[in-house]
Amino acid sequence: MIKRVNFTGRKRIARSHVRVEVRDGTPRTFDALVNLDGTGMPIGASVFLEAMCAGSTVVRRFPFGAVERIIPPKDRTLDGIEGENVFFALKVVDNRERIGRILGIAENIRPERAGIQTATGRQGILPIETAPLGQQLWDLHFGEIDVCLRVNDEISGLKERARWDPIFYAAIYPAIVRQILSRALAEGVDVEEQSDRWPVLWLKFAKSLHPDQETPPTPDTSEEDRDSWIDAVVDAFCRQHTLKDEFVKHLPTDVDDA
Amino acid sequence: MILRRLNQAGIEAFRQFLETCRSHTDINHPCDLLEDSALTTVVQPTIEVDQRHFGERRDAAHYLNGLLQPLSDHQIESDAGLWTWLSLCFFDEICPLRNGRRQIKKDYSYIFEPMNSRHVYRHLLFVAWRLLKLAPTHNRLFLGGPVSSLDQATSEVMKRLYITRIPCVFEVLDRLYWDKNRGRIRSGVVTTERVSPGDLRHRFPIRIRQLEMTYDLQSLNADQLIELLGAEFQNTDSPIT
Repeated sequence: MIKRVNFTGRKRIARSHVRVEVRDGTPRTFDALVNLDGTGMPIGASVFLEAMCAGSTVVRRFPFGAVERIIPPKDRTLDGIEGENVFFALKVVDNRERIGRILGIAENIRPERAGIQTATGRQGILPIETAPLGQQLWDLHFGEIDVCLRVNDEISGLKERARWDPIFYAAIYPAIVRQILSRALAEGVDVEEQSDRWPVLWLKFAKSLHPDQETPPTPDTSEEDRDSWIDAVVDAFCRQHTLKDEFVKHLPTDVDDA
Repeated sequence: MILRRLNQAGIEAFRQFLETCRSHTDINHPCDLLEDSALTTVVQPTIEVDQRHFGERRDAAHYLNGLLQPLSDHQIESDAGLWTWLSLCFFDEICPLRNGRRQIKKDYSYIFEPMNSRHVYRHLLFVAWRLLKLAPTHNRLFLGGPVSSLDQATSEVMKRLYITRIPCVFEVLDRLYWDKNRGRIRSGVVTTERVSPGDLRHRFPIRIRQLEMTYDLQSLNADQLIELLGAEFQNTDSPIT
């Protein structure tokens, strides 16, 4: 097996060094407490906070001064960040030797506190948002950090049903898991990597589900072997959630009669 | 005429016209919709719109940037009714009659879909406005073409937000891909047939993605980014083959 190595040299910063509160409004605003004590980040390096939202490609960037002197910008409005699943990334950037090199990073920072417009705390590995999808009921949006299930915004209550409705769940989630794992394998990440990016989180999740806890195949593995590994994980997922039984239990009775 | 926005019924009426026009390519566009109070609302503050001819995308970009200056960028970027109304208003510019017929493109070329990342940059007027916002200078690669179509270079760049949000990227693209001698984009940089070293269509996005893993590209100037791109991007004087 090919061992994949992180050559970037950047250091992972624990999310606990950043505490975020998002305030309701149009647009929303946020406050962030950044404390880089004990991270080993060099004095003078620049600090930036970037705000994103699941299911969207919009990124808002905010300069937060330097490692030894954190200064939040006056304008902390989240213009263009529309969904409820807001998250942040903190970057510490070299501005002296190798200009622009990322020295440290904390990703997937969720707000600790927020108003009613914003979700707080950990959101699981598949946040759900609504989007204008025309005649499609759902699709997957693959971002840099996260992957998001988007459901059609013209169907009232579909976002909630995607979380609890056993029929909807049984019908779409095996396909979702299959699609995400296929893309995650193609990313070629190391499942042991300390990262909050979606391919790492999903492959860790999949490995734990796999009946033999088999390590995910690398991109150079044959397509047949990759499909076989994904099949085993999807099958385990369906068994764990008894999807067929739940589907049958909640199927409207008149379907049988038709 | 006062600037308006189409409401949902107005957008659907325009969509219906586009559908009809695909089979009856010589029919006139429904100008009466523009001031129909049941299908439109006046944009506030009120803005006067002039009918005019756009030779190049650049003309549309400058006119629209001036026209929409009283509105906030955020409002402009999310207003489907506004951009769809503008499409109808300037329909002869973005879908000109040629030999008495119009060639209607996909709906998203005229009906703005701000929440659809695959379609948003394909709106023919929005993309002109947006390009000039992003690149007040170093924009000749993208603003020289006709406003009635979307060229490959513009499409390849504007569909990738991770590229357009790099502050120095338009200067970099101009330095890498503008052919000074011929006064146009270098040959072969957006071809679909093959991957060539340093091309815009395939190699540039991949290289940017690689660099993003190590560098905060927002912190770099054009010289620094070009240097990091590597040797395959340095030979800017010859056509890409």
